[in-house]
Amino acid sequence: MASIAAAACRASLRLARTQLNRDATARGFRTSAAALAAQNFTMPALSPTMTEGNIAKWQVKEGEKFSAGDVLLEIETDKATMDVEAQEDGILMKIMQGDGTKAIKVGTRIAVIAEEGDDISALNIPADEAPEPKSAAEPAKSEQSPASAAESHSSAPTPAAPKSAPKAHGKGPKRNYPPLPSVLHLLKENGLNESAISNITPTGPNGRILKGDVLAFLGKINSNVPSDISIRFENNSHLDLSNIKVAKAPEPKKVEKKAAPVPEQPKISTVQVSVSLGAVSAVQKQLNKKLRLELPFSSFVFRAADLANERLPRAKPTPDALLNELLGMEKESDYFSRGAYLPDIGTIRLTSTAPAAPKARHAKGSDIIDLLSGTSKPASKPAASAGIISGTATTFSLTVPSAEAERASLFLHRMKVILEEEPDKLVL
Amino acid sequence: MLSQRLIARTVARPAFVPSSLPRIVSSTSRWSRTYASAAEEKDLVIVGGGVAGYVAAIKAGQEGMKVTCIEKRGTLGGTCLNVGCIPSKSLLNNSHLYHQILHDSKHRGIEVGDVKLNLKQLMKAKEQSVSGLTKGVEFLFKKNGVEYIKGAGAFQDEHTIKVQLNDGGETSVRGKNILIATGSEATPFPGLEIDEQRVITSTGAIALEQVPKKLVVIGGGIIGLEMASVWSRLGSQVTVVEFLDQIGGPGMDLEIAKSAQKILKKQGINFKTGTKVLSGDKSGELVKLEVDSAKGGKAETLEADVVLVAIGRRPYTGGLGLENIGLELDERGRVIIDSEYRTKIPHIRCVGDVTFGPMLAHKAEEEAVAVVEYIKKGYGHVNYGCIPSVMYTFPEVAWVGQSEQDLKKAGIKYRVGTFPFSANSRAKTNLDTDGMVKMIADPETDRLLGVHIIGPNAGEMIAEGTLALEYGASSEDIARTCHAHPTLAEAFKEAAMATYAKAIHF
Ligand SMILES: Cc1cc2nc3c(=O)[nH]c(=O)nc-3n(C[C@H](O)[C@H](O)[C@H](O)COP(=O)(O)OP(=O)(O)OC[C@H]3O[C@@H](n4cnc5c(N)ncnc54)[C@H](O)[C@@H]3O)c2cc1C
Repeated sequence: MASIAAAACRASLRLARTQLNRDATARGFRTSAAALAAQNFTMPALSPTMTEGNIAKWQVKEGEKFSAGDVLLEIETDKATMDVEAQEDGILMKIMQGDGTKAIKVGTRIAVIAEEGDDISALNIPADEAPEPKSAAEPAKSEQSPASAAESHSSAPTPAAPKSAPKAHGKGPKRNYPPLPSVLHLLKENGLNESAISNITPTGPNGRILKGDVLAFLGKINSNVPSDISIRFENNSHLDLSNIKVAKAPEPKKVEKKAAPVPEQPKISTVQVSVSLGAVSAVQKQLNKKLRLELPFSSFVFRAADLANERLPRAKPTPDALLNELLGMEKESDYFSRGAYLPDIGTIRLTSTAPAAPKARHAKGSDIIDLLSGTSKPASKPAASAGIISGTATTFSLTVPSAEAERASLFLHRMKVILEEEPDKLVL
Repeated sequence: MLSQRLIARTVARPAFVPSSLPRIVSSTSRWSRTYASAAEEKDLVIVGGGVAGYVAAIKAGQEGMKVTCIEKRGTLGGTCLNVGCIPSKSLLNNSHLYHQILHDSKHRGIEVGDVKLNLKQLMKAKEQSVSGLTKGVEFLFKKNGVEYIKGAGAFQDEHTIKVQLNDGGETSVRGKNILIATGSEATPFPGLEIDEQRVITSTGAIALEQVPKKLVVIGGGIIGLEMASVWSRLGSQVTVVEFLDQIGGPGMDLEIAKSAQKILKKQGINFKTGTKVLSGDKSGELVKLEVDSAKGGKAETLEADVVLVAIGRRPYTGGLGLENIGLELDERGRVIIDSEYRTKIPHIRCVGDVTFGPMLAHKAEEEAVAVVEYIKKGYGHVNYGCIPSVMYTFPEVAWVGQSEQDLKKAGIKYRVGTFPFSANSRAKTNLDTDGMVKMIADPETDRLLGVHIIGPNAGEMIAEGTLALEYGASSEDIARTCHAHPTLAEAFKEAAMATYAKAIHF
């Protein structure tokens, strides 16, 4: 294995870089002409649902310079008026759609801009590359092959890299952080410009576009590979709480034994109520769609139970309460207290405790080392709790001492109201 | 103009914003009237002042909650600050210095006279670091309005913790929410009673009063190997007995583990892997261990002045009174929780070593912040796929994400790129060239799946791998990021180049 002196390292590194540059130049996607190019500036999508907008007013005149952060124009949509700010310095070469123009489709050219320092009199107005009235709101799943994409761009008079593409403020395009180096490199290498990013389906954390997403977009790998990997990452990001084996509880038993002789066994009753989970499921979908948030069904139940447990009437007044009543000093807490109920639902149990008795895994000849090193991977996942939500009614039940039946039943009815009528309040 | 911008901003706020989630737990529901309960009820009562507990306490204080933290140790910071991460790293650092001066300075052109070990002073330096840090936490409690009760807490009922005060007497605290953060303890070896003098856990191993002539370490995991390194450097003859064929514990990449074993062996530590300790006997002058090859080889007896039991740690809930509220543990003693750290009693939550997941201080810390956010805002987050592990031996071993054996077992395809420190200019300059950086990426998308490092400063370098993994980077993304020259981190970059293309300097 060769180890190389420091000086040599630097030299070869630099060499490698020049090599790389030359490569790119030779391919001719990005030529020095780029510096002389004017760029089309199109109607930006200021929200994911925006399909068209009106130009309220240009704040920069033709021929004027602007700096990063300057407001270029105001755009009206049916919802609001928004400023569009420049992200880099530049010159507004020509306005194509003047003040007051209405219903301009997203993606339609509205102006031509040049880079700072360009002599605009020497620049040509680039061809309008506006797509056919293809609304940008439809996630354009481009079937275009990489080769043709490269062609169409290299034949266009300018590479139209929206380097100084103004950035909308507010509910603008979601991804306004710089693309990962590999992403940018791949795009350029394939003759695409950064704007192609809006056509790529992101699978990275927080909607980030990854190298694999570009490769899939370019058709170099199977299109579902990146999302499959993302799912794996998603699974790894959680604690594995499946298949929990509850320890045999010796301690409670001891307590029970001690306490057993005194009171006679209380009568047990089961109360139940049927709850429709359609509303919960609708909120889940909404959350997932809008926020990419997977809130498990159990969270709704826990949160609902939390509310429903508040200030439940006591099953029977405590001795303290009776005394207080005698003294005319009743307190709220004499009659109400927080419950600690958690309903049994259909077939699933919310403690996520698998009820199965621990298998006799360490049956013979086992010792502490076996136990410590034994990687008993649970094979089967428990039934997904989401599976039971179908909009049909599900039974919530509680088994409690009979004296508590009323309290428990009030709790269940509260659960029903919360989950059927306003489950959205649990998350909003 | 300003007004228009405001309009834009208002409209632009998405309809669902996680941070606007209200406090579910303490929300004024339509059933709670204006009655406040008579006794002062805290928003959050935390049992345990370890990393999990103290971080949650500070975070809750910062969020404006009324919070109490109960700790029985007498100092804050738990295992980590008092008898774990911090003291062990102090000893590792200083024993390394000693060892280096003794064996590694001459050929660097530094000749020193009599080098002597002052173990008392070495321990004092350790204690200084510990007490500085634990007092620092106490100061942070004051600064953030956290009430600190010194004593042992136990559940009286679902909302009340009774505290046996360290100074005598008893008190109780009520909490709307309660957090169990009681941590872990060393797993004892059956039939070998711990006395922390001759049969010790890591707690005894960071406080030995003299260097044992012969030390046997049962368990070749991270804690065992760190302690083995300390005492071996200080002059003990150390033997590590490990049941598995691999050292470093199950998370460490096999290739890296092998390399670590080779390097540590060169440093003088003996290894008996694939070997099972059957029994121990400490009745004689030396402690005797019966060991047996796990694959049915011949049995033998090992003798030692001191035996360190480092076979793992187990959740600790002793005296916590979980039986009083009917909370269950799983078969390994972990408090059972859901994905929002709730026990089956929803206002009682649990984080840190005492529940699921790796027993690491930074994991406990992440969870502590997340659990307070769950309570306060209804949403918190920990990415368990992206928690780094570090073994602070020399060289260090660090990793994040999946190992080669993990992926193999799951039948997932991968690509590996490595770069040895022997080809890194800084490592060469430092004359510390053992080790390598190993990267694992998806063969099709190049997305990073795991990073494994053995080498000088691996523990610091893993932060870059963790960041890359968290952001979904590909090895090419790392390779296209400039790294200063000459640094060890260049090896990291070159390993990335080797993963998606080719390393330049190898
Ligand atoms: C030798 C050693 C080295 C380690 N090195 C590292 C390392 O380098 N990096 C790393 O990430 N991790 C390391 N760890 C692990 C790390 O220490 C733990 O992961 C971390 O301390 C867990 O924090 P915790 O708050 O969950 O539990 P703990 O730190 O164990 O804290 C729990 C606290 O609760 C208190 N307590 C328990 N019950 C009660 C009660 N009923 N009433 C009041 N108080 C109670 C205990 O006294 C204790 O102080 C090391 C551990 C050891 C032993």
